[in-house]
Amino acid sequence: MKDIQLGKEEIQKLVLGVLLFFGLIYSYFDLLLGPLSKHQDAVRLSIVALGPEIDADKAQIARAKKMEQEALITQKTTRQVNAMIPEGSPVAWFPTHMAEFFKKQGIDKALTRMNGELPDKELPGYRKLVWGVDLPKVEFVPFAEAVSVLENEEPLFEIAAMQIDASREDVGAQHALLTLNNIVRQ
Amino acid sequence: MALRLNLYHEVIKAKALKRRDPLKISIYALSAIAALCASWYLLQLVNMHNLTADLKRVKGEYDKLEPLAKASKKKEDALTQQGKLSVQLEKRMESRFYWAPLLAEMMQLVPREVQITRMGGDVTGDGIRRCSLTIDGLSAGTDPRKVAEDLRTSIADKFSAKYKNVTSTFKMLEDGTEMVMLDGKQMSTATFAINVQLYTGEDKPAAPARKKK
Repeated sequence: MKDIQLGKEEIQKLVLGVLLFFGLIYSYFDLLLGPLSKHQDAVRLSIVALGPEIDADKAQIARAKKMEQEALITQKTTRQVNAMIPEGSPVAWFPTHMAEFFKKQGIDKALTRMNGELPDKELPGYRKLVWGVDLPKVEFVPFAEAVSVLENEEPLFEIAAMQIDASREDVGAQHALLTLNNIVRQ
Repeated sequence: MALRLNLYHEVIKAKALKRRDPLKISIYALSAIAALCASWYLLQLVNMHNLTADLKRVKGEYDKLEPLAKASKKKEDALTQQGKLSVQLEKRMESRFYWAPLLAEMMQLVPREVQITRMGGDVTGDGIRRCSLTIDGLSAGTDPRKVAEDLRTSIADKFSAKYKNVTSTFKMLEDGTEMVMLDGKQMSTATFAINVQLYTGEDKPAAPARKKK
């Protein structure tokens, strides 16, 4: 085999060529392929990151739809309660309603007045009104029956307190005073 | 053996040298590497294009779903609130204190030797309802105090079957000054006041204990 004799100029060209080659390789990876790879990774990450969010959104929409379908059942009580509360100011209809109720139960005189309002944070959209119902002349048994009917027919009323006094003038008659709580719309 | 002279050996050598020219080989090799690199880069560019298209599609889907999901969340919150309200209303109605059974029990408990002159009561509390009852009356008999005591104990016994933690105590028990006629006989009297405390309903579930840090 014949030895290759390289001159000084040829060696310089060779070194320069090798340097140029490595420079090109470096530029290729660092300026072209590297950024492209990084960009690809970022895009892949974005796609992967959006996946669970899309799934969560889909699940959220499905959950809301299911709840909407079930709302007909779950809100039955609210609808029934709203149907039980007459329109208008309670001061306008409640005393009349009570007078009519007790009249139907055989108690002719019932005086109703509003005593105040109780705050109720657990029932947004509703308020609890406190009423005093004065029954000046009642007999105990019809009165107890009336209370029973009231408690059965009016689920939005609750008797918070009651007082029954024996009348001095009429032995068979009592004077009753009821404190009623009533849930009404705001 | 005949002597053969190759007069073209210099030309052949020059041709061979030209064929094995390192510069030419290097240029070929470098061109091949360059072509490979360019192809690889192009392939990556195509991949990148596909990925960008995928991202655009996914982002488009997300952008379409996101407002819907937000609206659904709001709707879900509103529905949850309405559901809670419904449950709360139902609970309120079911946990009411019913006076009618109490009055019915009282009618059965009061003997003919006793006259109730005043009865009052009130209900307090949200989970467990506490009912305080005050019964004022007049008892008559040969031993009117015992009649009153019997009433007190019978109230405690009867109500204990239906309500929780029933206590029945005398607030006052005094001999009366008046005499009454009962069954054609004059009987002495006693005035009394009985305090009755009773509880009903379920206690509210306790709030979960906070974790210690």
